Amino acid sequence: MSSVEHDPGRVTTRLSKADMAWLRARGRVGRRWLSVAIMAPLVSGCLTVAQAFLLATILQRAIVEHVPSREQVPAILGLVGFVLLRALLAWTGERAGSQAAETIKLAVRHDLFAALMARRPAWMREKTSGVLTNQIVDQVEALDAYFARFLPAMIAAAFLPIAFAVILMPVDLVVGALFLITAPLIPVFMALAGWGAESASRRHMTALSRLSGLFADRLRGLLVLKLFGRAEDEVARVREASDEVADRTLSVLKIAFLSSAVLEFFAALGVAGVALYVGLTYLGLIDLHPGTLTLQAGLFCLFMAPEIYLPLRTLAAHYHDRAAAKAAVADMSAVFEGLPDVVDGAQAASRPATVRRGAIAVDVSDLVVMAPGRGPVLEGAAIHAAAGEHVALLGPSGIGKSTLIDVLARFRDWSGRVELDGEDLAAIDETALRADIAVLNQRPRLFHGTIASNIRLGRLDASDEDVRRAAERACVTDFADALPDGLATTIGERGRGVSGGEAQRIALARIFLRDPGLILLDEPTAHLDSATETRIVDAILDFAVGRSLIIATHSVAVANRMDRIYRIAGGQILPVPHRPTSRLPNLPKLGAGDAP
Amino acid sequence: MKVLVPLFAARWRGLALALLLAATTLAAGVALLGVSGWFLTGAAITTAAASFNLFGPSSMVRGFSFLRIASRYGERITGHATTLAILSDLRVWLFGRLIPLVPFKGQDERTGDFVSRLTGDVETLDLVFLQVIAPLATALFAALGLGLFLWFVMPTAMPVALVGLGVSAIGAPLLLALSGRRSGAAVIRAMSDMRIAALDGVDGQADLVALGAVPLSRQAFGAAAADVRVARLKQARGVALGAGAAQFGAGLTVIGVLWTGLQAIETGDIGGPLMVGALLAVMAAFEVTGPILRGAGRIGQSMAAARRMQAISGAEPAIRDPARPIALPPGGVLELEGVRFGYSAARPVLAGINLRLGEGERIALVGGSGSGKSTLLGLLLRLSDVDAGSIRLAGLDIRDIRLVDLRSRIALLSQDAPVFIGTVRDNLLIGDPAADDATLHAALRRARLDDFVRGLPEGLDSWLGESGATLSAGQARRLCLARTLLAPAEILLLDEPTAGLDRDTEAAFLADLVTATAGRAVILATHAALPDGAVDRVYRFEAGRLAPG
Repeated sequence: MSSVEHDPGRVTTRLSKADMAWLRARGRVGRRWLSVAIMAPLVSGCLTVAQAFLLATILQRAIVEHVPSREQVPAILGLVGFVLLRALLAWTGERAGSQAAETIKLAVRHDLFAALMARRPAWMREKTSGVLTNQIVDQVEALDAYFARFLPAMIAAAFLPIAFAVILMPVDLVVGALFLITAPLIPVFMALAGWGAESASRRHMTALSRLSGLFADRLRGLLVLKLFGRAEDEVARVREASDEVADRTLSVLKIAFLSSAVLEFFAALGVAGVALYVGLTYLGLIDLHPGTLTLQAGLFCLFMAPEIYLPLRTLAAHYHDRAAAKAAVADMSAVFEGLPDVVDGAQAASRPATVRRGAIAVDVSDLVVMAPGRGPVLEGAAIHAAAGEHVALLGPSGIGKSTLIDVLARFRDWSGRVELDGEDLAAIDETALRADIAVLNQRPRLFHGTIASNIRLGRLDASDEDVRRAAERACVTDFADALPDGLATTIGERGRGVSGGEAQRIALARIFLRDPGLILLDEPTAHLDSATETRIVDAILDFAVGRSLIIATHSVAVANRMDRIYRIAGGQILPVPHRPTSRLPNLPKLGAGDAP
Repeated sequence: MKVLVPLFAARWRGLALALLLAATTLAAGVALLGVSGWFLTGAAITTAAASFNLFGPSSMVRGFSFLRIASRYGERITGHATTLAILSDLRVWLFGRLIPLVPFKGQDERTGDFVSRLTGDVETLDLVFLQVIAPLATALFAALGLGLFLWFVMPTAMPVALVGLGVSAIGAPLLLALSGRRSGAAVIRAMSDMRIAALDGVDGQADLVALGAVPLSRQAFGAAAADVRVARLKQARGVALGAGAAQFGAGLTVIGVLWTGLQAIETGDIGGPLMVGALLAVMAAFEVTGPILRGAGRIGQSMAAARRMQAISGAEPAIRDPARPIALPPGGVLELEGVRFGYSAARPVLAGINLRLGEGERIALVGGSGSGKSTLLGLLLRLSDVDAGSIRLAGLDIRDIRLVDLRSRIALLSQDAPVFIGTVRDNLLIGDPAADDATLHAALRRARLDDFVRGLPEGLDSWLGESGATLSAGQARRLCLARTLLAPAEILLLDEPTAGLDRDTEAAFLADLVTATAGRAVILATHAALPDGAVDRVYRFEAGRLAPG
């Protein structure tokens, strides 16, 4: 594979006991349906025996005893009854299996999504969204056949062949023994093939997962690739990735199909063996059967020969479902770094309690934050902002301003002391924390919907009037009013059709709908011209009266309007001498230095 | 299903082999059971054991067994290998089809939906051959063979067997497929909605967490997942009905054949052994209905997927190459004359732009966000065509030259330029695939990112996550800038190249602009303060027109 394919799967191991236990535990939500799905083939198997015996009896009577067909009518009606019953059982089993599988998948998806949303956003940023989505959508789908088909088939395969063999024992000891010995042998061979298939399947799932990420990524950037004239080359990469999926899938299947070949071998051998043995017994060339073997008994053995192996064949057809499910679970476990606990999905979507605490003081000391692969970004950093204070963070890009904002927003892990109003940040209840602080990211995400609905995410019960006012304050109306539908204009996924600066203003308008005690803004004016910048900062300062504000910025003009300025350098947060001017009336002059 | 025809045609050899092997497998199975029943019954009722021909049946039984084992394995491998190859072809075809279609006219085509199409839809199409075409062809073959055989040994049973096989192997699946069409389409739609809901949550997690809107998004995702469940259950009902119907049809047919067989024995038209053999052969032939019915329950999903692909293949690109392209002469004077453009007629973004960019000239466009800077740059690359007026490159209207030529002459750093999954090197090579390490480092240096990249443990080979999220916004921006600088274009369009850079770096970058872009013409859309000498001229956007800044 090309250098572009990152392969974390190569280092992961086989499915751990804990992961397997998780799968079983998750299966419990569908256990009622599952037990129906498991019982149906077992009952149907018993009917098979009766049906085969009845058929052999009819033939014995017709061929050997020359009974007229008219007298066979009741027996034939009995056959019809058996056929009908078995069809009903097949239908019931299928339905119950899918009910169980769908119920379980829904629960797993709930768990996975909830677990993802509970992650620190910094963790999420390191992941490929296509891969994560693929886990929730496609990998979970791999559990379907495991519950709906594999489990019932496995139970049927464990019981029916042996039961059939035991039933055949009194009819003919040799045939019964032949089946009793071969039937348990088959799973052994199949398991051998299955082990190989499983490890191959593991590789396949990883490739598929990566392929999905690659597609999403290349699609999003397709226009850029096209403008650089590289889109055609990416076709080759897509081909490469896709062929790899095909190769990997086939290498799984080659092994998986070996188990069905083993089975075919035994099934064919069983039929051939019974036919030859019974035939030779009739001809007197073999004499292992005590007394005479009737045609009825011989035919019964022959009819049962394929049936003995049928449950195993069904199992074989679904054997790779088990491998796929296990591989999917292992992959989920690897991507999610541990599977979510099996909990009730009934956690109520409670609205944040509006415990207004007023402006919040921020106290940070001995703060250490590590970035993966880059070492410490902040090392022993300290910063203090009194309640209601407005603080600017300056420093070149990549120096750690966003990192500090992330920590204060509890978007990433840290070590050291971080306190809001004297309370340990790590200990604050999530709902209360989110009600108390407002955060503006550098790259806010807009959701598919209207501009107004995106703003309303800030406060769901906001009136149109409130949304409008927030939009005005954040200068969203500057561009929105020029659109034919105004704030009702639909904007695309990832905010397509909206520029970076516009997206940020929409995200800012969300914050204006809230009532936070601490506002964290990361480069709120990065994409803006200086006139708009001044107006936005006016609006922010106006909103921030009586609230604490920490703003990461490149703009000295913006920083100058805060009460206090800090500069980040060498992992430390250093105060910058600064005479607060933000509340002086001659504001326009401050932005003047930026005018082109 | 039209999209599949050329793909199948290209792989006909593999498909034909798979069909042949499938037919062989079935025939061997039917023959094995039939011969066994015939031999067994014959041996049971024979009165002259010594003269019974033992050699023929016993060698046939062994031969058919081994033939069946070998052809079964071969059929599965061939069928799957060919199907997987076809799916791979399909992905590539689809991706290739999308290239001319970007940029999309509307923004309705959402990324998540496309990802769904490319992976999910393609996957569902694997059913078409393996579970529909191959079993159907095999069933036809079985009907033909069985019919012929019965015609000779037990003509009265032939109609019963053929009708039974026809009803359970073709009739019932057809009904299922028709009823499954809607449920299949519903499943695909529901899956696609769920994927978008998941992407919304995953991509927007930071915003949702910050806004305390996580319960809301969990609700939205939960609803989408519940819809999937409902849709899949509806589909499963069809499949279950199929499984039941197959069992029932097979059983009834065997009973029908038994009944006619019993009568044939009474009339002496057929001997006991042959009748048992025929009965077992009919039983064995029904093996074929299982996969057909399973496939038929889900074929609706495949058909819906195929239709959506067809829709993509039929879409018209918004921008086309000229029918008779004129070769682009060297030189790069860019002239705009009376250019008017608007996304809606009521609100023109550009209302008569006149501009001339000489070779090696550097100009800046300034103006508020959304004043039309990005739109103008897009027009120069024909991301859209002008409503009125003309854009000329080297004296030719850009609508008369090939898009490839135009875009090799002009390179754009767009505002939302992405960092691709891959290494730093992979990202840079998009700008110039032939560049060596020294060139890459030089470009990084000019974008002021070289020190950072050299400081990474793996340097140019360091891995970058999706959207370059492991880089800071400023670093991602500079990486995209370096990529653009690498492009061998004579004209560079830089849309806010310094967004996300701090003031010092921005000032240094703009001061470097002259050397970084030496020998090339530059249009810089920015609102940054420009140092003296960075550009030759400055224009300001005012109400859709350009004014000297």
